[in-house]
Amino acid sequence: MVDMSSAESLLSQDTQINGTVGNCYSNDAKMSMRDVNVYYDQKQAINNVSLDLARHQVTALIGPSGCGKSTFLRCLNRMNDTIPICRVEGGLTLDGSDIYDKNMDPVLLRARVGMVFQKPNPFPKSIYENVAYGPKIHGLSSNKAELDEIVITSLRKAGLFEEVKDRLDAPGTSLSGGQQQRLCIARTIAVSPEVILMDEPASALDPIATAVIEELIDELKEKYTIAIVTHSMQQAARISQTTAYFHMGQLVEMGETSQIFTNPAHKLTENYITGRFG
Amino acid sequence: MNNMTNNSLNETHLKNSTSDKVMYSETYSVTEKVSASLKRRHRKESRFKAAGLLSVLLGFCLVFILISDITYKALPAFHQHWVKLEISFDPSWLSLKDSGESSLLSANYRKVIKHSLYASFPDVKGRKDKRKLFKLLSSNAEFTLRDKLIADVDLIGTKQPVWIRLDDDVDSYLKDEPEIGAAGARVDSQQAGWIHTLQIQNRIEKRFNIAFFTHGDSREPELAGVKGAFTGTLLTMLVTLLLSFPLGVSAALYLEEFAPKNRWTDIIEVNINNLAAVPSIIFGLLGLAVIINIFGLPRSAPLVGGIVLSLMTLPTIIIASRASIKAVPPSIREAALGIGASKMQTAFGHVLPMAMPGILTGAIIGMAQALGETAPLLMIGMVAFIVDVPTTVTDAATVLPVQIFLWADSPERAFLAKTSAAILVLLSFLLVMNISAAILRKKFEK
Repeated sequence: MVDMSSAESLLSQDTQINGTVGNCYSNDAKMSMRDVNVYYDQKQAINNVSLDLARHQVTALIGPSGCGKSTFLRCLNRMNDTIPICRVEGGLTLDGSDIYDKNMDPVLLRARVGMVFQKPNPFPKSIYENVAYGPKIHGLSSNKAELDEIVITSLRKAGLFEEVKDRLDAPGTSLSGGQQQRLCIARTIAVSPEVILMDEPASALDPIATAVIEELIDELKEKYTIAIVTHSMQQAARISQTTAYFHMGQLVEMGETSQIFTNPAHKLTENYITGRFG
Repeated sequence: MNNMTNNSLNETHLKNSTSDKVMYSETYSVTEKVSASLKRRHRKESRFKAAGLLSVLLGFCLVFILISDITYKALPAFHQHWVKLEISFDPSWLSLKDSGESSLLSANYRKVIKHSLYASFPDVKGRKDKRKLFKLLSSNAEFTLRDKLIADVDLIGTKQPVWIRLDDDVDSYLKDEPEIGAAGARVDSQQAGWIHTLQIQNRIEKRFNIAFFTHGDSREPELAGVKGAFTGTLLTMLVTLLLSFPLGVSAALYLEEFAPKNRWTDIIEVNINNLAAVPSIIFGLLGLAVIINIFGLPRSAPLVGGIVLSLMTLPTIIIASRASIKAVPPSIREAALGIGASKMQTAFGHVLPMAMPGILTGAIIGMAQALGETAPLLMIGMVAFIVDVPTTVTDAATVLPVQIFLWADSPERAFLAKTSAAILVLLSFLLVMNISAAILRKKFEK
C-alpha cells in the first residue's frame, strides 16, 4: 500500500500524456482501432486510443482501475451496445471491415469476436448445454453427433474435458471457480471465434487455477487472436507478446511485452509496473 | 467469545506493547466498549425474534380459528336427509297415455307421491293437514320419480320403494337433533310427530349430499349446489390466466429488456403502477361499457368476466415480472450476448427461465386476487341467478365468491351451511392453484 500523498504527487509529477509512446501498430493486424473515443453520457471514458491487435498474438491491456481498459475491450465486440448511455466513436475494424458499420450485425460480430468475463458466468444448465448453446443457436452442427464432437473438442481445448467427462449432465454452476471459467472459455471457443476477448479471466481464481488458465491462453493463441485485460503485471508479462498500458482513458504506451516490462519509455508506465501506484 | 477476543488481542499487543502503549490502551477500551454494547445488541435480536415468532403464531391461530369455524358451519351442508316412500307407478294416477318420453315428462308424479304419503299416514284428514304433510318432501321429489321412470320404463304398474329428499326445513330440523317429537323453528309439533313416526319406521336416512357438488344453484336449499359457480370460476380463471399471463410477461419482458429507457417508458411505468391501485369495480364498469355495450359480448359470461379480471390482474403480473426480470444477474445476459445470442434469444432462453419463479409468484398473487373478486363481476351481470352449469365461456355463469354473496343473502336457514361450504370450496380452489404454482416454481428453480 502506498501512502496517498505520495501517490498523488506521482500523478501530478511531470507525467503528461502526449499521445502514445511506443509502437501501437502491427503489420499483421486482426483488429485495428483508430482514434477511438467512448463516452458514458457526457463523461469521456476513452480518449483517442489507436492500436492494433496482432493476429495470433496475445495482447495484454494493463493499467490502474478505472483507466478504461475494460470499456475499451467491450467496444471490440460491441458489448457496450447494451449500455444505452454509452457512445463509441472512431474507426474499429475486424479484418478491414468496420464493426460499427450499419451492415455489421452485432450478433454475427459476437460470434466472430468471443468474450470471457471477469466472473465465471456459466448458464444455470448442464455442462454439455453450456458448451452446446452457441453452436446450437448459430446452427454450426447438423446433427447430434456433430454437436457432441464440437462440445468434446471445445472442452478438450479448454483443458476441462478430462475433469468433467463423466458428468456432462451436471449443472455448470456445480463446478469450482477455475473449472467454471474454463467452461466459459470452452463455451466461447465452441462457436469458433476469430478473436477472444478476456476481461480479467483469472482475477477471481486461485494461483493454481490461474496457472491452468494462463497455460490455456498460451495454447489458444495458435488459433485465435487474443486480447486480455489483467490487473496482474506478472500475468501480462508471462502470457502476452504485446502490452498496452492505459491511464485515465488514454493509451500511454504500447509495445513488445519484454520491452515494456524491462525498459518502459514513459514515466507513468514505469511507475505503474514498478508498483509505485495502481 | 469475549474472553477469547480479549486474550488474542492481549497476546498481539504484548509483542508490540513496548513500542506502542497508547495503541494498546485504546484497543483495549474498544474491546470493552464492544462487549458492553454486545449484550444490548443480543438482547435486541432476541426481542425481535420473539416478536416475530409471536406474530407468526398469532397469524396461525387466527387462520386456524377461521378455518375451523367455517368448517364447523359448513358440515351440515354435506349431508341431506332422505325419506323412503312406497310408490305405486299406477298409469292411471300418472295419467300416462303411453310410455313415450314426452308423456313420461308430463306425467302427474305429484299424485303418485300424494297417494303413497297419505297411505303411510291414514289418520291424516283434511286438506290443510294433508298439505302440511306433503310439505315435508322436497319440491324436487316429482323430478326424482320422473328421472327414475325415464331410466327404467318397466317400472310402470309396479310398486317400488323410492328414496326422496326431505324439504330443507325438515332437513335443518333433523340436523339440529331435536327432542323427540318437539317442534322446531320451521316445523310445528304435528309435523314433528309425523317425522318421528317415519324415524321409528326407519324410513329416514342421512346421506352424503352429492347434489352439492353436482348441481347448479337453486331456490331450494336442498337442491342448491356449487357446480355451476365452480365451473364458472374455472372458466373465468382460465380466460384470465390465458389473457393476463402471456400479455403481462411479454409486456414486462419488453419493458425490461427491449424498450429504450426514456420519458415514455417512465410514463408507462407510472401508469402501470397506478393501474394496480384502481378499485376493481371500475374495471367492472369498463367491462360493461366497452366489452358488453360496444363490442357486444354476452352478458354474465365467463369470457367477459375473464377479460375484466385480466385487466385487474395485468398490472400485478407486470410489476412482479419486471422486478423478477430485473433481479436476473446481468452476467447471464452478457454470457449469452457474448457468444452471439440475439437479444430475443437471450431474453427468452436465459432471462425468462431464471425470472420464472418470481413471475409465477406474481401471477399467483394476481390470480388469487382475481379469484376472490366480486365487485367487477356484479357490474357485468355475473350476479344473476343461474341454475344451469355453464359449458362454454360464453354461457351465462356466476362464480364462487358471487355465489357465496348470493347465498349469504338468502333467508333460508339451510343456505347458511351452504355459504360456509362454498367458502371451503373457494379456499380449496385457491389451495390447488397455489400448490400447482409452487410445483411449477420448484421445477424452474432446479
